[in-house]
Amino acid sequence: MLSAFLYAWRSLWRNRRRTLITLTAIALSIMVVQAFHNLAVGVYARMIDDGVRAGSGHLAVYRGGYLESREENLSFAPGELAARIRTIAGVQRVLPRVYLPALAQSSSDSRGILLIGVDPEAERAVNPFLKKLPEDGMLRDLDGRDAVIGRKLLGDLKLAVGRKLVVTAQHRDGTLHSELLRVRGVVETGIADVDGSLLMVGRERAALLAGMPGEVHELAIILDRAENDRRVSPALAALTGSRPELAAVSWKEAMPNLANAIKLDYASQKFIFIIILMIVTIGVVNTLLMSVMERLREFGVILALGSSPMRLRRMVLLEALLLGLAAALLGSILGALFTWYLVETGIDLKDFIPETMEFGGVVFDPVLRAAWDVSWMARIALYVVGLTLLAALYPAIKAGRITPVEAMRHH
Amino acid sequence: MPLITLADVSKTYRHGSLEVPALANFSLAVEAGEFTVLAGPSGSGKTTVLNLVGGLDRPSAGTVTVGTLEIGGAPAKILADYRLRRVGFIFQSYNLIPVLTAAENAEFTLMLQGVPRPQRRRRVIGLFAELGIDGLEERRPGDLSGGQQQRVAIARALAAEPDVILADEPTANLDSRTAEELLDLMRDLNLRRGVTFLFSSHDDRVIGRARRVVRLEDGRLAGDTGQRP
Repeated sequence: MLSAFLYAWRSLWRNRRRTLITLTAIALSIMVVQAFHNLAVGVYARMIDDGVRAGSGHLAVYRGGYLESREENLSFAPGELAARIRTIAGVQRVLPRVYLPALAQSSSDSRGILLIGVDPEAERAVNPFLKKLPEDGMLRDLDGRDAVIGRKLLGDLKLAVGRKLVVTAQHRDGTLHSELLRVRGVVETGIADVDGSLLMVGRERAALLAGMPGEVHELAIILDRAENDRRVSPALAALTGSRPELAAVSWKEAMPNLANAIKLDYASQKFIFIIILMIVTIGVVNTLLMSVMERLREFGVILALGSSPMRLRRMVLLEALLLGLAAALLGSILGALFTWYLVETGIDLKDFIPETMEFGGVVFDPVLRAAWDVSWMARIALYVVGLTLLAALYPAIKAGRITPVEAMRHH
Repeated sequence: MPLITLADVSKTYRHGSLEVPALANFSLAVEAGEFTVLAGPSGSGKTTVLNLVGGLDRPSAGTVTVGTLEIGGAPAKILADYRLRRVGFIFQSYNLIPVLTAAENAEFTLMLQGVPRPQRRRRVIGLFAELGIDGLEERRPGDLSGGQQQRVAIARALAAEPDVILADEPTANLDSRTAEELLDLMRDLNLRRGVTFLFSSHDDRVIGRARRVVRLEDGRLAGDTGQRP
């Protein structure tokens, strides 16, 4: 039965080949944009996850000003805070840490290092590099003399597992204090700066060296899902509210290098997405304009039969809407299939990039895997429908300006 | 009171700086129910008169009135509505929409009018039977002969039940037999339905069947037989 939809749909397929080419171009652009956005989401999520587990956590608590100055005097006693944070729904782990700039000396050499005091058990459950250590390579207690050392630092100091070294740091009273430690395990993060300066000990051993027993510089909070930070943040703020000297921050503030690297990378990707969609839009304008110009006589007849110019414009827009919807549907199916491949198989770049490539302070996994972002996929499909309608505006306006007498002379 | 009145109408077309006069001080009154032919050679102004009466064009001078509507001064929206509800067009080259079936073409103006689907389909099926093209409803224009296409065009013009049907050289692309059949059909519709027909033609078969022949030459009135019995 005749309807404006039927007329628009049949008109769309008058020039089957041209419509198919345009439809395919729009659908492919949707597929590429959706799949590569999902790939970016997957890669960023992996990097953030790796970054927060070895770094600041999804959320972190510091003493005010510590993040900016890294001044070791800005420590705080967590008291019951860590245990209370652990009770917030969505919190997986709370990792108290001490950070001290120090000097490490072996019998043959010395190096400036970052001494990190951790809770061995809690840290090993989360930190991807500590997870790789054998059982006899891990720190045993909070105040023991075991040390886990970066691979490069181990070489620089000409040490080996089981050998001793001396670490010297500034005590709270201003004097220099030294501790004798023994290498128990070796980690390799792939980041040269970290592997050349990392020395990890039990948290209390580090705190005693700096004269701040029971205190920490950071409570790194690991969430079960990164998206839960919006829900956990207010609860965390409520817990720290009674201690105004403390500040709770997200990983974006605690690890600005990673956050900015992701932001910059995604901005450049968005730019490419916009270019792709612009090119497609120009193609749609061309198709619809040609379609209008070829039908001048028919439009003249429709106007003569009593259609208003506005109604004729709406008919052209309806054709564009149907084209956009068909392309959005096809493109989203292709985008979902491509994403599915990228989630299941991924893209292996091992042959093209080193396995230890660093990005924003995090080691870049050379196997890129996508993650589903269905709401964004739906949004981009709708944007493309909107762009198709936008592209149809000029042809539609042109159709509405036709005068029937002149148009019917057109052959 | 006549249904159609053209009073001292002139129409001049502009092609760049060139002015081409199509009608000059042309006057005509057509009563409701007439079957009138505008006769004359090519370029005499016949199509211009039809375009003015159909609200597709406006006069450069003078007034064109159909019923109570003065075409020259009516806003575009009113003219579109006038064409939709009060005028039916039959064109020389049929001008059916190729992607629609015969029945859908005939329904087109009814769709524009917003007539509900079952009602318009009923009306079109009735018209197809009346015009002798029943059974061709689902054919596309490309699958129809010239005569069949013109009958579909007549169905489209009649479907909206207009006051007046304007037909511009409706038999020019048809063979003699088909043309005569169609003329008889339109004459019959004129008598039975009382629809006013205003033709343009230089075909003697059309002129011979008209009850009134208005002759034009160089955009001027050259003769008027008046209404014949």
